[in-house]
Amino acid sequence: MLTKRWIATFVAVVAILSLLAACAPTPAAPTVAPPPTEAPTKAPAETPTQAPTAPPAEKRVFKVWHYEVGYAMGDSWADALEDFKATHPDVEVVFEEKTFEQIMETARMILSSADVPDAMEINKGNATAGLYSKEGLLTDLTEVAKERGWDQIMSPSIQTTCRYDEKGIMGSGKLYGVTTYGEFVMVYYNKDMFEEYGVEVPTSLEEFEAVCDKFVAEGITPLTLGALEMWPQTHNWQELLLYKADRDLITNYQLLQGEVDFHGPAFTFAAEKFAEHVQKGYYGPNANAVGYVDANAAFFQGKVPMNLTGSWAFGEFMKQIKDFDWGMFLMPGKKFNTGSGGNLWIVPQNAKNKDLAYDYIDLALAKKAQTVMANAGGIALNADVSQVTDPKVRELNELFATIVKNDGLAFYPDWPVPGYLDILGGCLQELIAGTKSPTEFNDCIAGPYNEYKASLE
Amino acid sequence: MVNRSLIVNGTVKSISLIALITLLLIMVSPFAIITFNAFKTEDELYAHGPLSLPQSLNFKNLRETWARVDYTTKLLNSLVISTAVAFLAIGVSLFNAYALGIGRVKGKAFLLVFFILAITLPQEVLAYPLYYFFKSVGLYNTRLAVILVFTVLHASYGTYLLTSVFSVFTRELIDAAMIDGCNKMQLLFRIVVPLSMPSLSVLFVFFFIWTWNEFFLPLVFLVSNAKQTVPLAAAVFQTQHETLLTPQSASAFLGVLPCIIFFILFQRTLTKGITVGAIK
Amino acid sequence: MAHKISSLSKGYVVFLLPGVFAFLLLIVFPFLANIGLSFTKWSGIGKPIWIGLANYDKAMGDSSFWASFKNNLLLIVAMTIIPTIIGLFLATFLFDYIVDKFGQGVSSFFRAGFYLPQIIPLVVAAIVWRWIYQPNWGALNGLLKSLGLDSLTRAWLGDHSTAMYAVMGMMVWFQIGYPLVIFMAALQRVDPELYEAAALDGASWLQKFFYITIHLIRPEIYVVVLTTAIHALKIFAPIYAMTRGGPGKATIVASYFSYQNFFERSNVGYGATIATVLTIIIILLTTVFIIVQTRREQ
Repeated sequence: MLTKRWIATFVAVVAILSLLAACAPTPAAPTVAPPPTEAPTKAPAETPTQAPTAPPAEKRVFKVWHYEVGYAMGDSWADALEDFKATHPDVEVVFEEKTFEQIMETARMILSSADVPDAMEINKGNATAGLYSKEGLLTDLTEVAKERGWDQIMSPSIQTTCRYDEKGIMGSGKLYGVTTYGEFVMVYYNKDMFEEYGVEVPTSLEEFEAVCDKFVAEGITPLTLGALEMWPQTHNWQELLLYKADRDLITNYQLLQGEVDFHGPAFTFAAEKFAEHVQKGYYGPNANAVGYVDANAAFFQGKVPMNLTGSWAFGEFMKQIKDFDWGMFLMPGKKFNTGSGGNLWIVPQNAKNKDLAYDYIDLALAKKAQTVMANAGGIALNADVSQVTDPKVRELNELFATIVKNDGLAFYPDWPVPGYLDILGGCLQELIAGTKSPTEFNDCIAGPYNEYKASLE
Repeated sequence: MVNRSLIVNGTVKSISLIALITLLLIMVSPFAIITFNAFKTEDELYAHGPLSLPQSLNFKNLRETWARVDYTTKLLNSLVISTAVAFLAIGVSLFNAYALGIGRVKGKAFLLVFFILAITLPQEVLAYPLYYFFKSVGLYNTRLAVILVFTVLHASYGTYLLTSVFSVFTRELIDAAMIDGCNKMQLLFRIVVPLSMPSLSVLFVFFFIWTWNEFFLPLVFLVSNAKQTVPLAAAVFQTQHETLLTPQSASAFLGVLPCIIFFILFQRTLTKGITVGAIK
Repeated sequence: MAHKISSLSKGYVVFLLPGVFAFLLLIVFPFLANIGLSFTKWSGIGKPIWIGLANYDKAMGDSSFWASFKNNLLLIVAMTIIPTIIGLFLATFLFDYIVDKFGQGVSSFFRAGFYLPQIIPLVVAAIVWRWIYQPNWGALNGLLKSLGLDSLTRAWLGDHSTAMYAVMGMMVWFQIGYPLVIFMAALQRVDPELYEAAALDGASWLQKFFYITIHLIRPEIYVVVLTTAIHALKIFAPIYAMTRGGPGKATIVASYFSYQNFFERSNVGYGATIATVLTIIIILLTTVFIIVQTRREQ
């Protein structure tokens, strides 16, 4: 009878599907066993690995995650992974591409479960790495870093974002993460447009404003900005703040210590200057409605002459800009610059193959992978400069080196407080829209900051 | 007289058709946009933006994104999860509604509210407690966990709907069956199910689509890439820190295509209709 | 007879067991756990610290919290009121007029087309609508310009006075198909003789619509209104994918605010509080609604 058949099918399908779902072995991400003819460049004995107590037939599995596929960092880490496979032929390598959002939102859940990878990328800062280290989710790498020389490759100011104390505040304490690159914010500019309108690279804030005024007068929006996404404008704002900030202010702000006066001279200057730039039309009439990708596209299409964003986008710029000559300059006339060491490689406390993770980090910091990073448009810490071919890439790395030499790294403004990115970005959207005055804006960002700071006591 | 009303009728007919078609085009235009963008080359996308027509059918973007997110696995995962949930949720709803609507158990109103509670909860409420629960029974990062959660969540809606439907079943039919010596299982599967097949079919379509499109709880419970679903793969490129336009477009298209195919296949079940108290 | 009825009810309880068990385990206990969490201060890992009603105090005085509810109310307009009204008229139009003049096939075709937005994930829909709302090259401004209505162009998602309406626009587009499908199915059980009788009595189209159509498909209208209202109160995905609550706080909704506390600010206790208050409001709404519905049905 029809009904009987339906029921039988129904039950069978449910049974099969539930069985499939619960018991099907998850297909491992495609891995490539090193071809037997390829002689490993390093003898396996060189990297001592713990002998597995399981029977020799069982392969160890090295799980590694990151979210930089398609960027210079991703290229460099893929290269390091190939080296790893060559030097660890007995290990099965499982790489999973993640996203920034995924890790940001669920990192704590993942790190405290048994499904952790052996090595993964996380964002730097108190709100992420600091929090996880405080909760005991990360392996302390201080000793390993000394043994393997990582602390020699990463300079002290780079290490600021790798070290966290017992309160989860960066700057001092144990080393929980290793970064293999640097990043900073600068102004990408369209050389052809500059020439066409007779402006030169500015050497001071006043000259920068003059350049912008010139473009506005010609009916061109000087700076592209994807304020819809909330985070891009935080960089523009901090760059202005840094004209009046000193190292003490930056330290106090980042480490949630001392006195941070949101209505003091530095913050007042930043808010008023930013509002002034908005009113003068530097960001165009619709910044709040434009996404980050669109903002970049406008620059690529030669519609907007300047784009204040980060070195992480350098590789994409190299690929996409074909029609005009372009260059970079730092916001001129100040010592401090938004920037820091890059995202962190961490080894979860629950990881099963920590030694393999250390081997991998070795390779990621080694000259070979670092040079790959540099050539792909990244800011390497340990590249062989003689092998870097593109003059723009060399220029990029030189700019960064200059900032580091002057102890100018000023980090990112959303780090101190968890969730501050949306708060700061949102308040800035209101400043851009004119619905908040500079004073109100400073109130807007001061509240949550002070609240969080108080909660730590 | 006749001529005038004919002309008026004809005009009204055309106008109404045109109005409908316009509305339809508006409804469907976002799909067109997604489709166009998936077939553009990277250069085209950057040069002309996402709202221009593609110059040719270019599959490179789609192929690369397919491989990059291991789309085959994601498709399979979504298929397994959505189908399992659809069947299981219908099963649970059926049993519940049978007891409430036909069996008229005591405390029907209270039980109904109890079951509806599930759809009143915002999903964030469930995230942390269920994370700890699933972790403790070893179900964290499994598709089974996701299946269980959505079975219960959708069964809430199904119970509400089917109870309303069953509540107005003609008692004569049921009493007649009971007199004939039907036991409860037979009554359910021989009489109630066939009569409510249209409602059940529509519930199947709804549950399948709703589960397929779920994003938040799968993001929380499915950690390994090998277990993740299609919307997660599509969402990968919609994140705020993504700067690359091409995978964004390709993944949007790949995220939408299975839904459209499913819909074309099953849209006729919506014809059968869901009715409350329809059974004559 | 009485004997038969009681034996009828008794054996049915067993059918409730799987459902009740699953609901208790996966819904009720987590909900109770959430309420428990709302009385604590907790970052998600480690030990929660009991702080009593402090979170609730904070929520009552939190302007962001109440501002977010205002947006939820706006979304009820966009997801319940407007789609239900449009759905009713469109369903009747398709069911009566179109089927008459063009046949069932055409009617089904249109219905399928209008339902299409319902089948795509909201996160994907959001990205497309961002393209449509883009101020410089977006389709909406493009359309306005081509119609000579330049003055009406806006930075839809970036302007705090239009952002929420832009989100509402997308939600109306998304939601129309759902009531439409349900109402068209419901119309199938309306006896056409009722219309003929009314027509003979001299009833106008509007009178027929109100006194017959709406009256008879009341149950479906109730279901649609309740479920869409609940959906509007719980809404999360479009805000997450389109505006992140911005510009400023212009489009923040209760669910997104609670999510921010749960997952971005590691303020799990406070997030749980907001979620609990939201749930209580929804439960109250549902209970009142069902009571009204059952009373009306009697």
